[in-house]
Amino acid sequence: MPAVWVSALTRLVLICLAGTGIGWLYDQPLAGLLIAAGGALVWNLLWLYRLDRWLHGERMRILPDGSGVWSQVFARMDFLRGRTKLRSKRVKALLKEMRQATRSFPDGGVIINASHEIVTMNKVAKSLLGLKRKQDRGLRIETLIRDPDFIDYLRADRNDSAVEFLSPADSERWLSCHQVPYGLDQKLLLIKDITPQRQAEQMRRDFVANASHELRTPLTVIMGYLDALAEDDGLGDELIAPVTEMQRQSNRMRLLVDDLLRLSELENKGLAGEGRPVSMSALMAAARQEACAMEGCPDTIEIQIESEAEILGDERDIQSILSNLVSNAVRYTPAEGKITLCWMADDKGGYLSVIDSGVGISKQHLPRLTERFYRAEDGRERIGGEGGTGLGLAIVKHALQRHSADLKIESTPGEGSRFTCHFPKDRVVAAA
Amino acid sequence: MESEIFAQHISRKFNEDLENLRTQVSNMGGLVERQLAQAVEAIVSGDSELGLDVARRDVEVNQFEVAIDEESSRILATRAPAAADLRLIVAVIKAITDLERIGDEAQRIGMLAARLATEAKPRDRHDELKSLGEHVQEMVHDALDAFGRLDPADALAVVEEDKYVDQEYEAIYRQCITQMMEDPRTIRRFMDVSWAARALERIGDHAKNISEYVIYLVQGKDIRHTEIEDVRIHVERGERG
Repeated sequence: MPAVWVSALTRLVLICLAGTGIGWLYDQPLAGLLIAAGGALVWNLLWLYRLDRWLHGERMRILPDGSGVWSQVFARMDFLRGRTKLRSKRVKALLKEMRQATRSFPDGGVIINASHEIVTMNKVAKSLLGLKRKQDRGLRIETLIRDPDFIDYLRADRNDSAVEFLSPADSERWLSCHQVPYGLDQKLLLIKDITPQRQAEQMRRDFVANASHELRTPLTVIMGYLDALAEDDGLGDELIAPVTEMQRQSNRMRLLVDDLLRLSELENKGLAGEGRPVSMSALMAAARQEACAMEGCPDTIEIQIESEAEILGDERDIQSILSNLVSNAVRYTPAEGKITLCWMADDKGGYLSVIDSGVGISKQHLPRLTERFYRAEDGRERIGGEGGTGLGLAIVKHALQRHSADLKIESTPGEGSRFTCHFPKDRVVAAA
Repeated sequence: MESEIFAQHISRKFNEDLENLRTQVSNMGGLVERQLAQAVEAIVSGDSELGLDVARRDVEVNQFEVAIDEESSRILATRAPAAADLRLIVAVIKAITDLERIGDEAQRIGMLAARLATEAKPRDRHDELKSLGEHVQEMVHDALDAFGRLDPADALAVVEEDKYVDQEYEAIYRQCITQMMEDPRTIRRFMDVSWAARALERIGDHAKNISEYVIYLVQGKDIRHTEIEDVRIHVERGERG
């Protein structure tokens, strides 16, 4: 037991004894004891009263010093109070810092709870989304940001991708939103202004489209004169070879320009409408004919149609998907090889495949194959005819994107490749 | 933490039902807003494919209406709501009818866009339609915002905006008539333009209706066919029924 308490106890006992002693002198020992004990009680109560007043904030700023045991209690309380003050000061400073950090954050942030009610947001989010900070707290975010794509994204609960939509506050401004899980059952929405990126992208597309268009006109003139020259009987023998080569090269350039135009057209269009259903059998027959006309076409081109289902989409797009895949296959398959065109459907959608027994592609090229002008030349010696434009697979990719479809490429070097286009369920219908 | 007017129910499920209903109306509104934006885009840029797409997607709007209607009847039947809750259900049932009509008008604009795209565009490229279209889009957007926030002051602003849209429509209409008189060969085209303008003007009216339901819902006062001045005084006083 601490010394203070021992002395306090001793003091109490002594006082009581003294009281009893004095009372005994007057023949009233019990009364003496009571008076002494009562005095001690009043003294203690007095200190307790002061402590209570202090605790209730009747601002005697400084704690009374106390005496005896009380002085120790008061000292301890004073110490605790000082520490709490310091702590709360630190927490306040930290909070202020955090607030400043979120405020100067370049992207918008909104925190929503499990039922999508807005919990809090920063200033950037407020201006990007056109929200009102105080008024909108507690409202479901879907009632204010109503873009159907955004709502689908929010409900799908996917964290791996972002969604792009027009700002509700400014219809010229594009935003992207990324949701991440946050705290208990909450979500943090990160909002970014992507208008500049989209504008740059649009400028690039416009440039490619305009440039290819401008190139086509002079090219037509050059080709016209070359045709006339080639047919001219008076052409000297030494000029025949150069003119033929010029014809070939300008022809190649025309194909390139056409492909560039086609690609930029595909890029600029949105999702394909669900026009008339496209029947695969006719398209495949046409693709086979086209392939047979190519130089170095393999002997067997097989068509396997395992489903009567049809595709909802743009017929021209699907035709160019097929013809690009087939001409690629012809180019890399020897004459004794085989090309198979296959169409089948199951409950996950439709599958259009072009399978060849050509030279194949080594694995490291596969992910980059659909990039513009990317060529997997090593070990992929071209066999048939002229080279392609290097845009074929890029066209395929963009045409597929317009149909929410994707391209899967499997290949074994030396054995052949299989290009499969997977069309989603809602794009595939049973033939009427 | 539901909006305060509807947060006093003992049954949590009831609160949630009402909140979900409101959210669904907003979702339908979002779809309609996009339909309208694309319809205007189609007619201004002469994109026939986009116009037909809009027309085709009207089915989705209609499905939304049916679903919300059913849900409202279910709540009416099982919860027998009173006062503010009842007003919410009534307002929802009315608002979705107007939203559906906006969808129909957007569909019509889409069809007109597809037809207009096949004809030669006038020099001004339907600029006047663009400005009217933007104006009307803003009205629909603000009306739905007011519905989401249950803010009668915002709703009143939309109601007041309607007369400017009417004026703009009037101007386009006159312009079309003048053009038709100048050159009768353009009658067909300008008939279509004035039909599109008419559809936009109707959409403005529907947005106004939705805003009126918001005021009714929050303050319990029906302000249809009332002088705008009286309504303003009422809203500013902030009475709550």
